[in-house]
Amino acid sequence: MGATTTTGAGSKLNVIIDGQSVSVARDSFLLPAARALGIQIPTLCYHKDLTPTGICRLCVCEIEVRGKKRLVTSCNYPLRDEGLKVETRSPRVLQHRKILAEMYLGRWPNVPVVQGVAKACGVTSSRFTSELTDENPKACILCGHCVRACEEFVQERILDFAGRGIKRHLTMPYGEVDPHCIGCTSCAYVCPTGAIEIVDDLNRPVDPKLVRDRGMRVNAEMATLDRLQNCMRKMGTANIVQVMDKYDLLPCHNYKFGSHRDSFQIDQRKIVKVVTQDVPDGCWKGCSMSCAKAADDFELRTGPYRGQKVCVDAPEYETAGGTANMGCFDLDFMFEFAFYCDTYGIDIISATTTIAFVMECFEAGVINETHTGGKKLRFGALAETLELLHEMARGEGFGVEVGQGVRWLKRKWEKELGADPAFLADIGMEVKGLEVSEYMAKESLAQQAGYSLAVKGAQHDEAWLIFMDMVNNQIPTFEDKANALYYFPLWRTWFGLMGLCKLPWNDIVPADNKKHPPPVAAKIPEHVENYLKFHEGVTGIKLDEETMLNQSARVHNLQRLLCYMLGGGTRDTDMPPYRMVGPVTREEYESRAERYDKQLKELVGVDPAGMPVEEKMAALRRYRLDQYKKVVDAAYKRRGWDENGVPRPERLKELGIDLPEVLALYSARR
Amino acid sequence: MVIVNDRDRVDWREGLTVQGLLDAMGYSYNLITVTVNGELIPEEEYGSAPVPDEARVTVFHLAHGG
Repeated sequence: MGATTTTGAGSKLNVIIDGQSVSVARDSFLLPAARALGIQIPTLCYHKDLTPTGICRLCVCEIEVRGKKRLVTSCNYPLRDEGLKVETRSPRVLQHRKILAEMYLGRWPNVPVVQGVAKACGVTSSRFTSELTDENPKACILCGHCVRACEEFVQERILDFAGRGIKRHLTMPYGEVDPHCIGCTSCAYVCPTGAIEIVDDLNRPVDPKLVRDRGMRVNAEMATLDRLQNCMRKMGTANIVQVMDKYDLLPCHNYKFGSHRDSFQIDQRKIVKVVTQDVPDGCWKGCSMSCAKAADDFELRTGPYRGQKVCVDAPEYETAGGTANMGCFDLDFMFEFAFYCDTYGIDIISATTTIAFVMECFEAGVINETHTGGKKLRFGALAETLELLHEMARGEGFGVEVGQGVRWLKRKWEKELGADPAFLADIGMEVKGLEVSEYMAKESLAQQAGYSLAVKGAQHDEAWLIFMDMVNNQIPTFEDKANALYYFPLWRTWFGLMGLCKLPWNDIVPADNKKHPPPVAAKIPEHVENYLKFHEGVTGIKLDEETMLNQSARVHNLQRLLCYMLGGGTRDTDMPPYRMVGPVTREEYESRAERYDKQLKELVGVDPAGMPVEEKMAALRRYRLDQYKKVVDAAYKRRGWDENGVPRPERLKELGIDLPEVLALYSARR
Repeated sequence: MVIVNDRDRVDWREGLTVQGLLDAMGYSYNLITVTVNGELIPEEEYGSAPVPDEARVTVFHLAHGG
């Protein structure tokens, strides 16, 4: 839980601490409020990132409520009374602390942190000694930091207290080493006496303390801030389903729309009710985010395991996005589809995007039941979609064809069915042969380019710029967008190069990230530094932002050149399907007519009044494709690529990858 | 009239607060930073911080996910 509590909007009150009036957040605790005023209050059990317990009782203060005075432990006393009077050094308080300090000193006379607290309480020697006295300067003082860190940082209960009264002691279950201990070292990190020590012999990092210090920062943020931010521990990446729908960014019906009235059926509020494994998932040992969730005893209704109760790796955001894209707003369907995709080894993004394309083609009459093996594959066809998935896995019937993906289907249907190539090109959501992942990019030029310039095809992990561009209007010019399309793809490439998870970068944010101006805040500088320090701690090599970006740029440019060598990697392969850029059908245009009409008037300079929808669509299309061309021009320039999207020799030289064979290739193709 | 993110125009009304503006915009995101005429508004003050007429407001959504 951590040492601060939730505050609602506008929930402030005034309290008087040692005669000073101070405005505080309702339900925040007294101790940090007093310390913020520079008032020293001794404690042994308080830790800023852990739930306060008040067990040492050294932090007592005297409060007065409605004329009545009493002592309270300030670390866990919530401030709820307007005008509350607090004395932190009244005679009664000082006497209480002094006796306690004497007792602590009597039991642990040589522990520095105890000596320091005793001194602060005016105690240098103790009248109390007994058989309990522990002369060890690194003795455990039963503060409970380690117990709470284990539970709150990494959601384990490896350590706990046992025994009562004077026999109370720290232990693992049954006094044995618990095999569930993941070796995260949180307990040692928060131990104030050194009673718990870590022997760093794993992987031999150059500077284990640096690695641990940075890791613990993330742990502390997860323990204190995640529940106020993205709830990754509770919901995983699916936490954004509701938000995406609300901001018109959730792909629905093959990316025609960005929201749907039934999306609540599959959003995170429904998912968490099915999830039974809300515990550390083992995705990465010691990860305190533990975003992967699972549902036990899920009874399957179809396929080879029909009737069996299984454990399902719970849906991530993309699972829900893909389910919406197929119009299958049914929770049980989503879990079953996810289970079988995992079981069959089928990529859920490619599968759902391809099936959504098939569904639109079915509804548009491009294909019919004679092509689908009798299945009516309309949007929302639950049973038929699951059967198609099983066919795909069995290598039978229409499933074999759908398993080839969008590009293959487009070519087949153009050739064999005489389907309109332009229509299929517009609605077939793939770039460079890879199906588009689950974000609506129509209103974000930067995201369109992020998807389409990605070397591997339309995967979102090179650049996720929707909010920055579409909602924040934070990168309004082509140059701004080009800078974002330079920095973020290289930063994201760096995660892949290092084998590091991206989530601790921006799925948790430091409490004070708002201190930065928005363009800087978007990068989350403290978390970028975490990664650079982690690199330094493991390898001994210091990195700054430019060095890091250039590490990525070398690989990114070589990848682009490899594409070029293989016949791609040029402007024509960086073109998205028009559905990613704007409305393809009349139905789409009319569903957001107010938005599009406004854009025609304000951006294109066309008065839409009285214009036929088809003409408005054509005018909007010309404008949007021209905008797309301009953003690509700007991105190429920023990246040091030529007008056809090929890295220039000068850029290759800058990066130290101007290999003779590469330059020869460049000259030959030019 | 209030200008949000140098682009969106929102009708001003007497007593408009930051929270009222966020509600009007349909902004329900968890990770939002708000400035009013360049001044950063603490989250706990969204309910009470006034938004004056003609104010220039930034509502910055920190992009997580992806």
